[in-house]
Amino acid sequence: MTTGTQNGKNGRANALVELYERAGYARVEPAILQPAEIFLELSGEELRRRLFIFTDSTGRELCLRPDITIPVCRAHIAKGGNGSANYCYLGPIFRDRGSRSGEIIQAGIEQLGREDKSAADAECLSLALESTKVFGIDAPAIRMGDVGLFSALVAALKLPPAWQRRLLKDFNRTGTLEADLASLRNKSDPRAAHAGVLAALEGSDPKAARAFVTDILSIAGISAVGGRTPEEIAERFLEQSSRGATSGLAPEAAGVLEKYLRIAGDPDEALAALRALASEAKLDLAQALDAFEQRSGFIAAAGIDVSKIRFATAFGRALDYYSGMVFEIYDPFERVNTRLVAGGRYDNLMSLLGSEAQVPAVGFAAWIAELESAGGAV
Amino acid sequence: MSALILAVPSKGRLMENAQAFFARAGLSLVQGRGGRDYRGTIPELADVEVAYLSAADIATSLAQGSIHIGITGEDLVRESIPDADNRVVMLEGLRFGYANVVVAVPQAWIDVRSMEDLDDVATAFHAKRGQRMRVATKYVNMTRTFFAGHGIADYRIVESLGATEGAPAAGTAELIVDITTTGATLAANGLKVVDDGVMLRSQANLVASTGADWSVKARKAAQLLLDRVAAERRARTMREVRMRFKGADAEMLAEATGRFGVQAPFGGPTSSGMLTLLCPPATLHDFTIFLRERGAETVIVSAPEYVFAQDNPLFDKLISKLA
Repeated sequence: MTTGTQNGKNGRANALVELYERAGYARVEPAILQPAEIFLELSGEELRRRLFIFTDSTGRELCLRPDITIPVCRAHIAKGGNGSANYCYLGPIFRDRGSRSGEIIQAGIEQLGREDKSAADAECLSLALESTKVFGIDAPAIRMGDVGLFSALVAALKLPPAWQRRLLKDFNRTGTLEADLASLRNKSDPRAAHAGVLAALEGSDPKAARAFVTDILSIAGISAVGGRTPEEIAERFLEQSSRGATSGLAPEAAGVLEKYLRIAGDPDEALAALRALASEAKLDLAQALDAFEQRSGFIAAAGIDVSKIRFATAFGRALDYYSGMVFEIYDPFERVNTRLVAGGRYDNLMSLLGSEAQVPAVGFAAWIAELESAGGAV
Repeated sequence: MSALILAVPSKGRLMENAQAFFARAGLSLVQGRGGRDYRGTIPELADVEVAYLSAADIATSLAQGSIHIGITGEDLVRESIPDADNRVVMLEGLRFGYANVVVAVPQAWIDVRSMEDLDDVATAFHAKRGQRMRVATKYVNMTRTFFAGHGIADYRIVESLGATEGAPAAGTAELIVDITTTGATLAANGLKVVDDGVMLRSQANLVASTGADWSVKARKAAQLLLDRVAAERRARTMREVRMRFKGADAEMLAEATGRFGVQAPFGGPTSSGMLTLLCPPATLHDFTIFLRERGAETVIVSAPEYVFAQDNPLFDKLISKLA
């Protein structure tokens, strides 16, 4: 059971933010009450059931912050800060966990705007490991993955756009990705349902396709109602009609993806296997793999034993906004079975939140109650 | 306070159908002081109090355990009771209040026929516009579960408590999840049902709460109530077939059971050759031909009002869930 951690009262939780402040991270306390819209838009319906959500007297939907990363980034943008900044925090987040308390204390950092990503990733991981040391956990288990590598692979496979979207969406969804690969390998062609339309569209330009769709709608007496424009519908038909040219590649691509997703080991072993796969499948992944290698170098330079990291290509974290390295840190003795510290790179989040500039970002959150349970009494 | 509280819908077609259902089981619902009282009794069953509630309130009251048994739609049970399979027992589908909960998109989306198409469109929509597709519905929980089952992640629910089918035209959502009986309202609003987008085929159900106070008296009252319901159901699914047929032997009865689903509640023919059998309506005519070919002279068929038996399957279902 957890001890009665309260914001600001606990010595070791405070020691954490002091550690972050000494490392150059400015402490911030973003608002607890947040517009629900942003969290729903970014995290989707999966999160909603765990959100404490309500409506104020003007009809705005508000929520108790379910995470601190997004509020920190919003505050940074609100200040007009497109440049780099290092922030840290300690405070409660709120998630409906059924019978367990919905108030959870987290400490963490967000590192915004650093272009030397490999070094920044290593620094982030290093500070995460310092965090467990504060609780007396010197050699925690580290699990690592790389969402960006998967994106790079999917792009290099030159699959049709619909397939690329689908694979990236399903990367974090256990079971769904396997099903995708099975249907990629063994495709019952969904185009059959629209074969006539697609044949008619083969080779036409977007303008002609749009006219075609508009004609069909008007013949059917459908006044274009709701959400998508005839252009968007035409565009999707065109994508599908061009799928024919690449459909022969699909089983091969599925094979490469399956091999890729089986690669695991320490980062150096994984890198060797990844390079072998890239050359065997004649895929240009050099840029992504060089960055991977560089990051491992920085991690080693930070004094972390790279051979102790368990890297897996299939490892991802449940939030859609991660874009590169992701990691979770566990109790090596399994006194606590959930992650103690978790984080990763999220280069797209700032743009999604309305930042005009692309702002690279990496950070983590530490779960205080879990760290205390795993670390035992002082 | 009565031992067992039975909740029935307080208005509309559901109420009329519920009353007809109990009437067929020989039970009359008497509303106290006429139509304005929300409490009533069943003269044939002591220890039962009738509560008149909205179908939605019946579902939540079942979840809370403040009523024992109620009539409500399966859609409401599935939507408003998390972990419904543990908290309530669906005793019996009542063959009224039919409605489907469906995923419907604008008819103009001629490229969308399946949930797989919808998944692709949702992801593309999100990627292109930086916003998630909005789904208007009051079936928030069912929609999440169903969409997750189809791998759809790039959407948002907009809660809608009325006139949901108008949301796409009004621009407050791109698609909807709603209840439909004939599809006419959907069509009138320029919407079509996705081929594999039927989330639930719902009907009114007799539902029991596992969390209610199941005292000895409440159980006894439920047993009597469900005995009548079961007897009526058995009667409805059987025709009584009577004849004089001396030559009927065990072998012939076994063949009749195998081929026509016939039951012999009183065994073989009496000494005078009288034989009474029960036969499902679907195989009845073939069965009477079979009987005459084998030598039965006159075969009289009638619909029984009740068939009471030793077992009480509905009550057994309830008790096994309470254990």
